[in-house]
Amino acid sequence: MSLWVDKFRPRTLDDLHYHERLSARLKSLAASGDFPHMLFYGPSGAGKKTRITCTLRQLFGPGVEKLKIDQRVFLTPSKRKIEVNLVTSNFHIEITPSEAGNYDRVVIQELLKEIAQTQQVDLNAKQRFKVVIINEADSLSRDAQAALRRTMEKYMSNMRVILCANSTSRLIAPIKSRCLLMRVPAPSDSEMETVLTHVAKRAYFDLPPEVAQDIIKDSGGNMRKAVLVLEALKMQSPDLSGPLTIAKSDWESYCQKIANLIVTEQTPARVMEIRTKFYELLSHCIPPTVILKTVAEAVVSQVDETLKAEIIHWAAFYEVRMRIGSKKIYHLEAWVVKVMSLYKQSFYQFDISDF
Amino acid sequence: MSKASQPSTSKAKSTKKTKSKVTTVKLGATPSHSQRINPLTAFVNTSCSEDGTRNTSQLTNKGKEKQIYSAELAVHAKKVLDVRRWLDEALVGGPSGKLRKYRRILALTGPAGTGKTATIRVLARELDCEVLEWRNAMVDTSPTIFRDDALPETTYPHPYDSESLFSKFEAFLARASMCRTIFDDASESSSPQSQSSRRRIILLEDLPNILHANTRTRFHVALQSLVMSSALNPVPVVIVVSDAGMRGEASDERLANGSYGKDRDDVLDIRTILPKDILNGPYVTQIGFNPIAPTLMKKALQTLISTHFASSKCNGFAPTKETLDIVIQTSNGDIRSAIMALQFACVVGMPGVKGRKKGSSNAAVVLQAVTRREQSLELFHLIGKVMYNKRKGDPPNPSATARDMQKERDLDALLKDPQKLPSFLDSHARRTSRVNVDLLYADSPVDSSLFSLYIHQNYTQFCNEVEECDGVADWLSWIDSSGGEAWYQANPHRFHLLTLGTLHSLPSPVPRRGQKLFKPEFFDFLAKEKDAWDAVRDVRGWLMEDAAAQEGDGWRLGGWCRAEVVTELGGVLKARDAKASRPHAPASHRLFSSLQFVFGGDDARLSQLDEGDAFSANVDVLEDEGVAEGGWSDIREGGGWLENDDIEDFY
Repeated sequence: MSLWVDKFRPRTLDDLHYHERLSARLKSLAASGDFPHMLFYGPSGAGKKTRITCTLRQLFGPGVEKLKIDQRVFLTPSKRKIEVNLVTSNFHIEITPSEAGNYDRVVIQELLKEIAQTQQVDLNAKQRFKVVIINEADSLSRDAQAALRRTMEKYMSNMRVILCANSTSRLIAPIKSRCLLMRVPAPSDSEMETVLTHVAKRAYFDLPPEVAQDIIKDSGGNMRKAVLVLEALKMQSPDLSGPLTIAKSDWESYCQKIANLIVTEQTPARVMEIRTKFYELLSHCIPPTVILKTVAEAVVSQVDETLKAEIIHWAAFYEVRMRIGSKKIYHLEAWVVKVMSLYKQSFYQFDISDF
Repeated sequence: MSKASQPSTSKAKSTKKTKSKVTTVKLGATPSHSQRINPLTAFVNTSCSEDGTRNTSQLTNKGKEKQIYSAELAVHAKKVLDVRRWLDEALVGGPSGKLRKYRRILALTGPAGTGKTATIRVLARELDCEVLEWRNAMVDTSPTIFRDDALPETTYPHPYDSESLFSKFEAFLARASMCRTIFDDASESSSPQSQSSRRRIILLEDLPNILHANTRTRFHVALQSLVMSSALNPVPVVIVVSDAGMRGEASDERLANGSYGKDRDDVLDIRTILPKDILNGPYVTQIGFNPIAPTLMKKALQTLISTHFASSKCNGFAPTKETLDIVIQTSNGDIRSAIMALQFACVVGMPGVKGRKKGSSNAAVVLQAVTRREQSLELFHLIGKVMYNKRKGDPPNPSATARDMQKERDLDALLKDPQKLPSFLDSHARRTSRVNVDLLYADSPVDSSLFSLYIHQNYTQFCNEVEECDGVADWLSWIDSSGGEAWYQANPHRFHLLTLGTLHSLPSPVPRRGQKLFKPEFFDFLAKEKDAWDAVRDVRGWLMEDAAAQEGDGWRLGGWCRAEVVTELGGVLKARDAKASRPHAPASHRLFSSLQFVFGGDDARLSQLDEGDAFSANVDVLEDEGVAEGGWSDIREGGGWLENDDIEDFY
């Protein structure tokens, strides 16, 4: 059995539960026969990929569902071999270039060239072009984006690119201007409830509204997370009755505890302790930006109003450095130390003015 | 080791005897047979060649070449035993006779000058087997060690042949293992007694250029076929790898940058020489050599001296006990360099023999100049210098001797006071630092990236307040993010900035509360992270296969990106585990999904930085076992010169 998120995913544009106007527009685009390059962006778990796959089906029919997984080996100029997993059908190909790390430019170039130079051979195909889906487009390196930009124009006749990203801010302007931008906003609470009830119905059980509300509150607009939490809850207590606690995932509560450590004591020894915690998180593959964000939010919720702005300012400041630099731990720690000294100072100032 | 007591007494005698002789010899008088200027050529040309010890450029541990026995090696007896057992098993098959199949490749690793090759040579002679050694001959067309007439003359590489070096190497491997079988079969059929004289081992020390990707692949293939060959009596292969001190940062940095795996092969170590599946397979045994312990080395050198000076024909100066100690101390467990230094001391005579009190320090200076290794300033002292942040006018350490205090006063007299800062910069006023950053930079055994990791690991202990931490942490962060992505865009001033920034931020004087220096945990966690990423890949693969297995459910194939798997899937995976629902997710998912919060840091896991740790980046070089069996620990307990307070005696 597969996860509910995968199992009960809408297949066609008509099945989608929210953002109907977006679905309608996609439908008419697919029907028009003049399909542009597209860029889907929006927060995580809003339904970008679902919409992409639905659009593909609208374009090519059910044949696009016959998928296979390819492993391809690319050779870098320095003769290093990179293995990349590709999901392909007769009509499209889906890649996650960040798998190739620093060599994503090579992968993008090779792959697009190859696809673009082979024409669609299936005469019954609804469209003359093939589609390349690029996941996590915002993690593409500058080089890769520059490579993409030229290819997108050159091979327009028999290839379309669909990019999928969380935010457009890390994409270069030439790419953005070559695509039709599609913003997929996070669903509202009522929309999420509809979906959750729908999922529950398809899984043959009734979802108490309170539980649904709890889940929605916990997931913060992330539909995928909501469905995953629902499935986990259902597994923990099959009848979904009684007081249910939505267990936060380990790393989230871990971040919360780190925030507590920061607020309770501000000494060099504590810095050392927190560093170990950060190392633990990093070694569990939690992305450093996510760590910084989560801990910062948790700290902000515990401090005075006057400090909040500064704490977030420094979080942003060190996040930029983190992106440029290579050793994430330095920047996480520098932020912690900064927050600690800010907190300490404000604490003492407060004390002094009090007396 | 049984000779231990006897040589030391004879040594004492010999020093006494030679001391009286030496005092009559003027330092300026050039010994007739030596070229004093260049110690290296001096070794080659020393005419005293009747005695084996003079030719120390050969890796002879001690004594005359033909008289070395394995018991005499300066290598720890247990290691020698390990190697001997392996060779036994490889050549005969061990007690059960069945182990032979799995004793195909022996990898000897360890720092330079720890007696790896010497051990093999000595044991080979004792076990009476021939060593076939591969040499990368570039112009030299003389055949490799095929000394017997097994091969007809024509099969030797022709001077003008077009074969590449590597094909020659392949041919060497093939022939070496082939002709073994031929002869063995022949001899076995005739007389089993003569078999022992036909034993061979292949020694690979001078490897082909495996840093080149193609050559490495071919090398791996060659080894693989060697291992897989079903020859009846395979020739065991011994590979000797000297660990090079990891100086570069590139591989780890790139790893940290987010490209996963496959990038570590730029460093020449056992993992690149042997392919992973062979290395982890049953056919490879790996024996790591540790730096030679001072006690063992002392014994060896004393025997060397006594045998050398026992033969009356040699003129030269027997080194004093102090010189010997200095030699051992500066050698860092490298016996080859120790013997070199010792010979140098014998040839020219040390200033120390004049009998003054200051002599030993002079001798130390001279010897250090001779034996100066690349990693001249030990990491331990480098970090100590920066972390203790000594400034002009610091009160002397209570344990400091009068001479140290005098030295500090002399140094302070040389240092200028800084100009007075304007009042708004008062917070930045510091006394002049006693640390010479340029000198540190010149002597640093590590690059700035590794150096910054060490600073990062240790700075918190030396701070009193978070504000001081703030300075160091911010400098670390700034330096890490300064400069561009490519190596040529890197900020060239990183080392200076980091050192000065750290010195400026740390309190002055630094409080002393028995701080211990630790090695950075960075690499451990990096390795853990890599494993966890592998687990993420497994889980993703599982999700994909799972979805693909069910027709029509394959919609979301490949849809799980890594960050989503890590951050969102944890709860469901845990619930599935609890319910034991099928199909099982790969168990490795706990590497990223399960995180137990423990209060307080667990310091047990931190490994402390010691003075002997020259190869600091190779986290796994110094195993606990190695430290215990080497004599470094003796010294630590006895002399106490690893105590932290002692750091300052060096400065």
